[in-house]
Amino acid sequence: MLIPRKVKHRKQHHPKRSGQAKGGTTIAFGQYGIQALEPAYLTNRQIEAARIAMTRHIKRGGKVWINVFPDRPLTKKPAETRMGSGKGSPEWWVANVKPGRIVFELAGVDEALAREAMRRAIHKLPMKCRFVVREGGAN
Amino acid sequence: MSSIKLTSQPRNEFGKGAARRLRRAQLTPAVLYGHGSDPIHIALPAHDTFMALKHSNALFEIELESGTELAIAKEVQRDPIRDVVEHVDFLIVKRGEKVHVDVEIIVVGESAPGTMHLVEEQTLSVEAEATNLPTSLEVDITGREAGQHVFAGDVILPEGALMLTPADRDVITIVDQNKAASETADEAEETAEESTEG
Repeated sequence: MLIPRKVKHRKQHHPKRSGQAKGGTTIAFGQYGIQALEPAYLTNRQIEAARIAMTRHIKRGGKVWINVFPDRPLTKKPAETRMGSGKGSPEWWVANVKPGRIVFELAGVDEALAREAMRRAIHKLPMKCRFVVREGGAN
Repeated sequence: MSSIKLTSQPRNEFGKGAARRLRRAQLTPAVLYGHGSDPIHIALPAHDTFMALKHSNALFEIELESGTELAIAKEVQRDPIRDVVEHVDFLIVKRGEKVHVDVEIIVVGESAPGTMHLVEEQTLSVEAEATNLPTSLEVDITGREAGQHVFAGDVILPEGALMLTPADRDVITIVDQNKAASETADEAEETAEESTEG
């Protein structure tokens, strides 16, 4: 699963969830993509589950790109603990995904297969997403 | 190549409030500049502009109050969610003038069985006559084997066009299908065993 190798601070504030994606809103590497339509904290487990769902469906061939990295830690206090005594321990690693962000990309398969593979991957994600295809035209 | 005609209105109000009023009135704010002239702020019909911008490297004939200007789309701002055009920068061009544009790569044919192609450069930078800009560049990969590459220098350009991308830049790589799939899995798993504390 995706996890940072080294972090400067173990515990951080929660990432901001407002606004739209400022970059990463167009398909950069592949032919097809999954675009987030809602803000979400995407955990490394969810990213991995979506990747596995996609790669298992396409069986062989095709290349998958993961465009987000879960670099923000979220903490949790243990159950049945009194309030206070400092911040809880890191529990999840999340990517802060904003609407418009391309989360996954895929190439090397036909559109029908890509659409179905990405539909299965979208089911593993916590936010509303859509399938997008690279288009020509003015940038 | 024929040009696409767009009728413009002059734009005197600026800022996000004015721009939003224009967009509500089915108009797209745009700016026209080039050849050292002052920028001309205009508003264009939103749907016509949206449809016209579907053509890559199209030549536009923009009707202004003072006359008509030939232009190409320099930069297009789109809303990533609603997929509407929010603002367009047009660059004024003259007939016969050479301009630098990015041209899309179109892959034609199928590589050898058991292989797949990866497009490393989605666009190539090309210098061409403004009135005869290439819309796309076709690259034929029929029968190519795993490990082969198509470089920018191998791409056939239309007459009068000049490649600006370095000739040794890798444009398309042919890879083994199974290798490409396993690389993706490895990339995702390689960090799993690493320590998280700095």
